Amino acid sequence: MTARKLLSGLIATAGTLALSTGLVAAEDEVRVAAISGYFSQGFGISIMQGLEQAQADLGIDLTIVDTGNRALDYEEQFNNLAQGSYDLIFVMGWELVDALSKTAEANPDTRFIFIDGVLEGDTMTYIDFLEEEGSYMVGALAGLLAQEGVAPFANGPELGFVGGRDIPVIRNFLMGMQQGVADNAPDVRVVDVFAGTFDDPAKGSELAMALFGQGIGTIYQAAGPTGEGVLQAAAAAGAFAVGVDIDQCPSAPGAMLGSMLKRADIAVYDVIEGHVTGTAPVVPGTVQVGVASGGVELKICEDILDQIPQDILDQVEAIREGIVSGEIAVALND
Amino acid sequence: MTDATAAVPAARKVPAWAEGPISVVFALVVSILGGALIILMVGENPVNVFGTLLRGAFGTPERVAGSLLQATPIITCGVAACIALRAGLFNIGVEGQLYVGAFAAAWIGFGFQLPPVLHAVVGLAAGMVAGALWISIPAIMRARYNANEVVSTILMNYVAVLLTSYLTIVVFKRPGGWSETEPVAATAHLMRLIDGSRVNIGLLIGLVAAVGLHLFLTRSSAGYSVSAMGSNPKFAEYGGVRVKRNIVLVLLASGAVGGLAGGVETLGVHHRFMEGFAPGFGFDGVIAALLANGHPLGVVVVALFFGALRAGSLLMEVETSARREIITVIPAFLILCVSAQFLFRRRGGVSGERRWRF
Repeated sequence: MTARKLLSGLIATAGTLALSTGLVAAEDEVRVAAISGYFSQGFGISIMQGLEQAQADLGIDLTIVDTGNRALDYEEQFNNLAQGSYDLIFVMGWELVDALSKTAEANPDTRFIFIDGVLEGDTMTYIDFLEEEGSYMVGALAGLLAQEGVAPFANGPELGFVGGRDIPVIRNFLMGMQQGVADNAPDVRVVDVFAGTFDDPAKGSELAMALFGQGIGTIYQAAGPTGEGVLQAAAAAGAFAVGVDIDQCPSAPGAMLGSMLKRADIAVYDVIEGHVTGTAPVVPGTVQVGVASGGVELKICEDILDQIPQDILDQVEAIREGIVSGEIAVALND
Repeated sequence: MTDATAAVPAARKVPAWAEGPISVVFALVVSILGGALIILMVGENPVNVFGTLLRGAFGTPERVAGSLLQATPIITCGVAACIALRAGLFNIGVEGQLYVGAFAAAWIGFGFQLPPVLHAVVGLAAGMVAGALWISIPAIMRARYNANEVVSTILMNYVAVLLTSYLTIVVFKRPGGWSETEPVAATAHLMRLIDGSRVNIGLLIGLVAAVGLHLFLTRSSAGYSVSAMGSNPKFAEYGGVRVKRNIVLVLLASGAVGGLAGGVETLGVHHRFMEGFAPGFGFDGVIAALLANGHPLGVVVVALFFGALRAGSLLMEVETSARREIITVIPAFLILCVSAQFLFRRRGGVSGERRWRF
């Protein structure tokens, strides 16, 4: 409560300062917009939580734009936003990159913040999640369980990976997992498949069933709604899945080993807070969010936590500390 | 309404011309009032929302260009649907033809090197061939086995979307990046009409197609035989029209124009093929053709209306607090009111074996 008072005090001071020096117009609310086609799905929900939290705490003016799915619309939507005098515009979705780049180039003073990737334009800001770090921990945990044959998680020396589309960011998940497995459980192998779509739970379920049928005990999915099918398949097959982006443990209780969280809510909130309070005004460049800043973490599902041997939990915690300290470097070989 | 012949343009009396616009205005008033009610329910100011819709569609020259850009594929897809409709056939597969046409044109664009202009022309021709090939199976099945073309063309849509997805993801994917092909060579780009806008000669192509179809149907004997077939196939056959051959030709032409619409989108707007890039344009075209009662010039008017609604609703989303769900409802409600009015007017006097009347 006091923190909030302090904060609003800060904003008020910043506002009056700006007013008295004539730096900004009478409008002292920071205007934030966010544009994506995924606000109702996993990662997008997390972004929305961060935005809504910022709206509640920091009193920003918030506009949400859903892109829909027609590629023809994207450029007009970005132009409309660029002309809307917003202070910050969050963008999420790789299919928007082309339209975003064009608009950002034409409006270099508009602060576009691209979530989850780094593009070429040097007038934009990028929030780059180090998903490979969290995926490394997933690989380490599942790999150790498989290598030591811990029931009920292990079922032979193979782990599965189901990706959505075969795009760079999803490859990062796979590479992190493979590295975590290779470093900590060298006898275990990762079998990877890509669904080719993020929107097809039935396909995810089908692919997962095929993998479970091959004797794979645990599958890590990075496939959006397609991945929901993987979780359901794990429950149906009596096997295990690892969720992604948000806490998916409740999706299939008893069949979930954990979730690799990308805390977009924390990252988005931090960026807005830094800008509103003036402690870290948003400038072009890359903001990296990884295990060290708490923006990426592995959450082991509580209902199965007691079935994991303590020594493995200790090893995973040691790995986390290793990543935080920089002792363990998760590299992307692309 | 009481005039049963009002639906046949040739027999329309002069007062019937006034009847149309008056009832359109009436439908617009009803739909605006209804839309205002919806807007009030979500706690927004209707004047503000409709004002934003208008500004988004016509506010600046750029926004007018945006409306034209949105209307372009609907015009061409509408003409494609019209061709079939006038012959008493339904091509609900314009969507699929648009996808295969778009892909074929893009493939010519990124896979081959040709001189400027020729490259674009060959690309568009490839789109038309792909669209025609895509409808050839339903067309032959319809002519030879009387298989319902509504069902077969709809089913071909799914195959087209998934096939082009497969080709994009598995065979032609640009390394790295989103599920899209390599960019189309600059020699295959369609000329843009306005600086700073993606409106291109595809718009003119659509307009020429609409006028051309209108002239064909009203001024040529082949066009007359197509219309006759649509009005009463048995009588047309009795009168010497080779109905089965015409069914195939008409559907192939319809599919070719559907493919052309796709080619225009990839060569004129996107300059590459993206998986699932344009959901619904084919269906918008079919709706436009139905609303225009199969009249090619009417299709242009309806498509421009649809395009303006879409462009306007894009601004509504940015400038009002209404969410996309509501914003999608308002144009849909406008279209519903206008189309309900059209359909009422068309009732009465359905006779003989016509599947559709004009």
